Formats: sequence, structure tokens, C-alpha cells
Amino acid sequence: MKASSFHLNLLRQNEVLSSSPVRLRIMLPVGATLACAGLLVWWGVLFTQIILAKTQAQGIEDDLTAKNSAHAEAIQKRDLARELKLQLEQLEYYKSGVRSIGEPLAKFAEVVPLRVQLKEMSITPPKPQVLMPPGLKIPLFGPTENVETQKLVIAGLTTKETPVVSLMESLENGFEKLVTSEHHINSFKQDNAEIDGRKLLSFEVEYTMPERRFAK
Amino acid sequence: MKLQLTKDKTIEIKFPSGGAKSVSDITGVELSSPGEGECPAIRLVHRKKAWHVAASGFVKPPDGELPMRWEDTPHQPTWEFPRDFASPHAALAINSPMATFAQSTADAVIQDMTTGLAAQQDDRQPGGDKSSSDGKRRFGIKREQSTQPAPKPAAKQEPSARKPAFPSSGTPVSENGRRFVVRPMAEENFHLCASLPEFQTLWLSRLLPEGKRPTASSIQVAESALMASILLQPEFIAADGNALAIFARPDATYLAGYKKGEPVLWRRCPGVGGILAMRDAVRKTLGLDEELVDSVLNESLIDPRPALEPFVRPILSQLSLSLDYLSGRHGLKFDHAFLMGVDAGASHWSRYAEESLHLRLVSPNPFDGLALDKGVDAGDASRHLIALGAAIAGAEVSA
Repeated sequence: MKASSFHLNLLRQNEVLSSSPVRLRIMLPVGATLACAGLLVWWGVLFTQIILAKTQAQGIEDDLTAKNSAHAEAIQKRDLARELKLQLEQLEYYKSGVRSIGEPLAKFAEVVPLRVQLKEMSITPPKPQVLMPPGLKIPLFGPTENVETQKLVIAGLTTKETPVVSLMESLENGFEKLVTSEHHINSFKQDNAEIDGRKLLSFEVEYTMPERRFAK
Repeated sequence: MKLQLTKDKTIEIKFPSGGAKSVSDITGVELSSPGEGECPAIRLVHRKKAWHVAASGFVKPPDGELPMRWEDTPHQPTWEFPRDFASPHAALAINSPMATFAQSTADAVIQDMTTGLAAQQDDRQPGGDKSSSDGKRRFGIKREQSTQPAPKPAAKQEPSARKPAFPSSGTPVSENGRRFVVRPMAEENFHLCASLPEFQTLWLSRLLPEGKRPTASSIQVAESALMASILLQPEFIAADGNALAIFARPDATYLAGYKKGEPVLWRRCPGVGGILAMRDAVRKTLGLDEELVDSVLNESLIDPRPALEPFVRPILSQLSLSLDYLSGRHGLKFDHAFLMGVDAGASHWSRYAEESLHLRLVSPNPFDGLALDKGVDAGDASRHLIALGAAIAGAEVSA
């Protein structure tokens, strides 16, 4: 049983008024306006926050760029300092590796026997060093090996063997800075030159010079 | 809310309208009740799976008369209810001499809609009250059986040639200055049809202002509300909605038949007045003062038969016809019928009915089947019959 069968309602649906003091037709636009205003404020706050964040990000980025360049400069200076230090170190090495042969050579003239005529005294050039190894952009400032060995070649003419032996004996004492005891007679033979009708002998002795050390 | 998008394109957004559907707190009010200065009102609240009478009483009528002409409608009063009746919704039941409520065929409804303007203008004639205009009154079966076309109004009052469409159930339509609403009956091809002049409907619809409790969710004619007033009666529910009822009103008496809770019969007893006529007969025949009429009708010191029987007999004759009709047409047998609206002398009615028809008349309290809240007086319930019916129908109560 439903009372709706007896409900002959002459009132149209669009004539039904709301008893609520809050009227929908007023509150709906007001609510919509408030919602729009709220959205606008929210959007404004959001926009401001985005602008602030962007500004902060830009500031941080600028700061970072400035610091990067300063950092790069510092790194560059540090590298330069390291490089200069290395160069100084190399120079120190070279300084340590200076071969002082002036004094022994001055003394050498005193020990040359009369019967010996020196034709040549030469120091063999050191072994060429690889100062630009593969993969390196800048050439090295110093030798790649700390020890350098050179030979002193003494060539001359003599009348007989004895003066040469005497010379070699003289070089064994007091010429440590110039030569070591290690030597090798490259040649000792008859030469075409003559003196007083007497055929001369040419000789060539190769002495190993003391090691040149590039170290502190 | 209608939004006009373009010149031709309009969209309509429907908001919850607070209509009568699923109403759980409603105030029924009877307006312009004959013989009543104030308006009977009752507030029904659905609480804990039961309907409660939260308040019952009388409210001060609106500050203005129900308009009888279009020209009177600008004088629109507003009406406010006492706090006890401040429910969200109100169902207004109107007693208007220009209202109609009838059991009609579809053709008769169309005819009424076609001649609505003429009928309204006839009603506007001086002295054109409900009882005096026999042809235009549409109460009872008599009207429906009359298939002859209504008398044509004068040429200048000729309604438009367009034939109104039969309205769909429960949807009010306006035709020729009147507003109509129909509901199908359990009787095949018959409909309950109520109508009210458009200006009265508009006046009523604006009576309760927006934003204040209550506002009108239903406007019914008083007879329609009367028919719904017994729907929550325990005896009616126990009989599975099969019932025959006599509704005695101050100015008229009606018979109503129900089949499985659906309306199957509605007629006004022809040639019979209402309670006022009955009391007048008792008073005049027995030579009593008005104050003694209730005592005579309720007590057995004086037999009121000489005064009461001439009034009741024609009603019982109509009741007999209705019993035969419901028995023959619908197979409904009754050993009792409801007698509603008679607050004094109901026992005499029942005795006369048993003598002549072997039919018991029961006069339950209209508030039976409802829980009464504290402070509600059920003693005056019969005066709230229409207000109660309006509230029950307005809430579309399911029993």
C-alpha cells in the first residue's frame, strides 16, 4: 500500500521552494565565486612560490657558476703550482745531476805523458730520452730515467804502449769525478803518421764516466 | 537552473528539489476548512521505522483570503508556522469552492481540461459555490457516467481548438486556466482527477516563503487528502487495504472504496449534507441548543433517531449501492466499513447500518497506527483528518 497512489500533488517540481535558509540559487554562485577566488589565490600563491623558487634556483645557479669558475681557477692555479713545483723539482734534479768535470780536466793535462798526443777527448752523447711519451700532451721537463751513463773517449797518438798505460794508471787515482775504473780499449794500432821518421801508434780508450744521477 | 548556452541551446541542471519523495518530516495543513477559524495542522515524523505525530493543533490562518479571481492574486500574503510545525516540508490541503476532485474516465478528464476555463468562469459567478453548480461539480460517479459533452460556453469563451493531452500520472498540467493532476485507480479506465484554478495554485505555492520552515512540497485538494487519511489505520492494513469508508465532512459526505490499498471508488453522497447539516437537524428536531448536540449524540438519555435517521438513511442507501458495486465489480465483501469524521453519534450510525445493511461501522481514532509524541492530544483527532491525510499523501507513506 502506497500513499503515492493518493498523492494528487498540484504543485510543480519547479515551484517547490527550499526551506533551508541557505538558498541554493544564491549560495551556488557565491560558492562558485568563492571557489574561483580560492583557486585564484591558490594559483597566485603557487605562482609566487614558483617565481621565488625560480629566482632562488637562478641565484644558486649563478652562485654555482661563479664558484665553478673560481673553483676551476683554483684548480688551474693548483695545477700550475704543482707543475711549477714539479719543474722546480726537475730543476733540482738537474742541479743534482750537474757533472763537474772542469777540475779533473784541468788536472788531466798534468797527467798526460810526453809521449802521448791527444787527438780527441769526447763524451758520448747521452741516450736520447723520450720526453713526450704517448698520451702525454705536455713534454716532460726532465729525463725519464734517474741515472744517465756516458762514456769518455780518449783518442790520441803515441810512440809506444807505455805512455798510454801510464796515462791509464794516472787516471785510476784522483779522477773519480771524470772516469771510473771501467774502461775499454777500443783500438791500439799503427798509424800512418810519423814523427822523426818513426811510425806512431793511434789509440782509443773508452772510459765509463761516473753515473749522473738526477735525484735530490 | 537553466543555462542558456546559445540562442537556441539551453541546458537545464536539476538540483535536489526537496520534493515529496522520501519525506520523513512533514506538516499537513488544512486551509479554508468550513466551520473552522483556524487551520488544523499535524506534523508527522518518521522515526525508528514508525510514523510519529510530533505535533497536532491549529495554526493561525494566513493573513489573506484565498483569491477567487485572477485579479486578487497580487495580494500575496506569506504564512509562518509555530515552531512545533516547523518541519522542512508542508502538505497543504485546500478547501476551495473552485476545486474539483473526481473519479473520471480519460475522456471526462480531457473534457474537463478542455472546458476548464469556462468552468472556472462559471465558478466565478456570484453564488457559484460547490453545491449550487450541479453540472460543473465532478464529485462521484454520476459525473463520469454522464458522457454527454459539457455545455458549450459562449463563443467568446471558446477554448482553443487544440485538444489537451492526457496528463501522465502524478504530473500536474495547466490547461485553460486550471491545473490538473491525475492518478490511475484500481478500477479499469478510471482515474482520480484533481484540479484547482491556476491562480489559486500559484497563490498557495507562494504562501510559505522560501528559506523558512516549512515550505510547500505538496498542494492537494481537501477531498484527495481525505481519501489518504485512513492509509495508516491498523484495521485498514490488517484488511490488506480492502476497505469501504464513509468520510463525513462539515459540508458533505463521501464514500471511498479501496482495493489492495489502491483507490477504487470515490463518490459524494448526492442530496446529503455534512456534519453541520446533521447537527442542525438534531438541533432543530429535538429543540436543543448547539452546546447540547454532542451530549445527545454521545449519550443515551435522549434517542436522537427521529432527527438522525432521516439524515443517515440516504447515506446508508448510497453505502448499500457502493457495497453492491464493489462486490459485483471487484468481488470485495465487507462486514464493516470505516466511518471517519464523525466525532459525535457514530454509535447511532453503526446501529442503523447494522439494522439495514448488517454492516458494522467502525470509527477509529484517526491517529490510530501512529505513535504519539509527548504532549499530542488525540482527542481532537477527527478535526485533523484532512491535515493528516495531506501529510500521509505528501510523505508518500508506504504501509
